[in-house]
Order: sequence, then C-alpha cells, then structure tokens
Amino acid sequence: MTALLATVLGCILLLLGSCFALLGAVGVLRLPDLYTRMHAASKAGAVGGGMILVAVALVSFDASIALRAVIGAAFLLLTTPVSAHLLARVSHRGGYHTQTTMFIDELAAASPSKGTLEQ
Amino acid sequence: MNLALTITGLALAWAAINGNFSPLNLLFGAAIGLLTSMLLRKWIAHPRVMRRLRRIVSLALLFFWELNVSAVRVAAIVMTPNIRAALRPGIVAFPLKLTTDREITLLANLITLTPGTLSVDVSEDRRTLYVHVLNLKDRDALVAEIANGFERKVQEVFE
Amino acid sequence: MTAAELLSLTATISLVILGIAMLIAIIRVVIGPTLSDRILALDLLTVIAMGFVAAIAIRTGLMLYLDIAISLALLGFLATVALARYMLSRIKDEDDQP
Repeated sequence: MTALLATVLGCILLLLGSCFALLGAVGVLRLPDLYTRMHAASKAGAVGGGMILVAVALVSFDASIALRAVIGAAFLLLTTPVSAHLLARVSHRGGYHTQTTMFIDELAAASPSKGTLEQ
Repeated sequence: MNLALTITGLALAWAAINGNFSPLNLLFGAAIGLLTSMLLRKWIAHPRVMRRLRRIVSLALLFFWELNVSAVRVAAIVMTPNIRAALRPGIVAFPLKLTTDREITLLANLITLTPGTLSVDVSEDRRTLYVHVLNLKDRDALVAEIANGFERKVQEVFE
Repeated sequence: MTAAELLSLTATISLVILGIAMLIAIIRVVIGPTLSDRILALDLLTVIAMGFVAAIAIRTGLMLYLDIAISLALLGFLATVALARYMLSRIKDEDDQP
C-alpha cells in the first residue's frame, strides 16, 4: 500500500517537474529581457529539477539512492541562485541594463556600468 | 551538545530495534528522536538550542512554501498571452540590516528563489542589496515585506 | 495497470516534455542576442538535461543514471560560474585599456 502510494506520488512529481522545466524554457524564450528571463530559468528550473530528483527518491525504494537524490536536490536549490546572481551581476556591470526597459534602476544610479557587452 | 548526544542515541536505538542501519533509517530515527525531545524539551534539552532549532525549521518551511508559490507564479506569467503587459521590471535597493557574509549569502539565495524577486548585486560596503523585481507595484511595500519576512527570520536563526 | 507500467508510462511522457523543453532552450541559445542570454539558456539546458537523465533512471530502473544526473548538475553549475568569471575578466580588461 505504501509502495503504491509512493509510486503514484513519484509519478505526479515527475510530471509536475517536467512541466515546470518546460515552462521555464518557454519563459526563457518568451520573456523580453535578460533579467526577466533569469526569473524563469532560476525558479522554474530549480523547482523542476528538484521535483524530478525527489520523484527518483520516492520510486527507488532504496535508502542510499533516496538519500543521494535528496542531497542532489538540495545541491540544486543551493547552486541555482548562486549562478543566477553571478550572471546578473556580471551582466549589469557589462552594461546590459541599458538595453532593457526598467521602471526604476537604483543600481545603475549607484554604480555606473564599466564596459559594453558583445552583441 | 546535550541535545545532539540525545538524538544520536535515540537514532541508534531506533536502528537497532529495526535491525536496519541504513543511512535513511538512521535519519528517520533521528527525526523521530528530535520530535520526542521537542515534546519533552523541558526535561531534556537546553531551551536556547530548541528555540534556534524551531526557528530553522520555521525558516525552512516558509522557504519551501514560497519556492512553490514562486514557480507557479512565474509559470502563470509565462503563459499569459500578452507578456509585456504582465511585467513591470525594475531594480530596487534594499537596505541590509544583516552584517556577516553568511547571513547576506543566505538572504540573497532566499530572495532569488522566492516570488518575483532576484538578487543582482551587493554594494561594496555591504549595506545595500540590489534586487530585481519582476512586477514592481510599490517599492516601499516590497522593501518592508522582505525586511519583515526573510531578513527577520535569518536574523533570528543566526543571533 | 501495475505500478511498473504506470512508472514506465509517466517516465516516457516526461521524457517527451523534457525533450521539447530542451529544444526550446536551444532556440534561445542560438538566437542570443547577447552572451549573457546564451549562458543563461545553457545553464537551464543542463538542468533540463539532468532531469532527462533522472527520468531515464526511472524508466530503465538503473539507478546508476542518478549519479550521472547529479554530476551533470555539478558540471552545469561549474560551467556557468566559469563563463560568468570569463565575462567579468573581459569587462575588467576593457577597463584597463580604454
């Protein structure tokens, strides 16, 4: 009974995770500029990947594999914001924000960008 | 220290009774041990340790909730037909009350994974965190929300 | 329907969804327009590829694939960090010789 429940739950998580990954990709394609795309990639990507790994943990029925999958999901949640943050920072320093429409940009006022990005 | 010893002992006892020393079973035993020692905290553990532990658990629960909300909200924005009308992007300067590196790192990571916000940069003097907002309505309300939500919780965990 | 059949079916469906997601991410890698956009799309691509490998692990039942998936996630993170640092060093170079 618990085995069946874990399997069904794992299947639901697998499908949900795939859908979030797909929506993240659609977001990266459709959103208008780098920073808004970054929202889609970092959130939907991390949640999608994490959900798929948790699904593996649920359907494996093996303690060591489940533990590894959960650690993998935690790793993903820790690193995705770090890489998004690095990329956002570098792009802002490179002057990317001049090509986007933003309603306010308090960072540009505080530190003017230092270079230009290659197209 | 006392609490860690208690929980380790309880986890080992749980594994011994089950006859299964796999890492997952040990972890499960530790979780049950933690729960029981929380229920009996007056007699077993030091109150300060328990309070901090409860705050960590509360921060983790809030984080997982916000993470799922944010993924659903981004998905909803991605699926709207007129995508530019749904957006009002901007970068807001958030005045930091936190001071140490690990606190700021934790806060920046939490902000990135929660609805509509993404941390972009920290100023050189570590007083300001620049946050990119997907749908900016009220700047001051947003700053107050972060200050009263995650920043206070992070502060409580590390104090 | 048995549990094994259900698992195999859902894994196949999610493989299809993830495949479409990878194709969409590749479009963004190709059209750019800036280097940052490409790095971002590549980062998402490795996360999706990691999910793809994990779904293969479920479909075949070979849990060795899980280790591959986790190392792919690690590799994707390191690649993004390396590319971001490369961009930073180039911006600094431009500063030095205006």
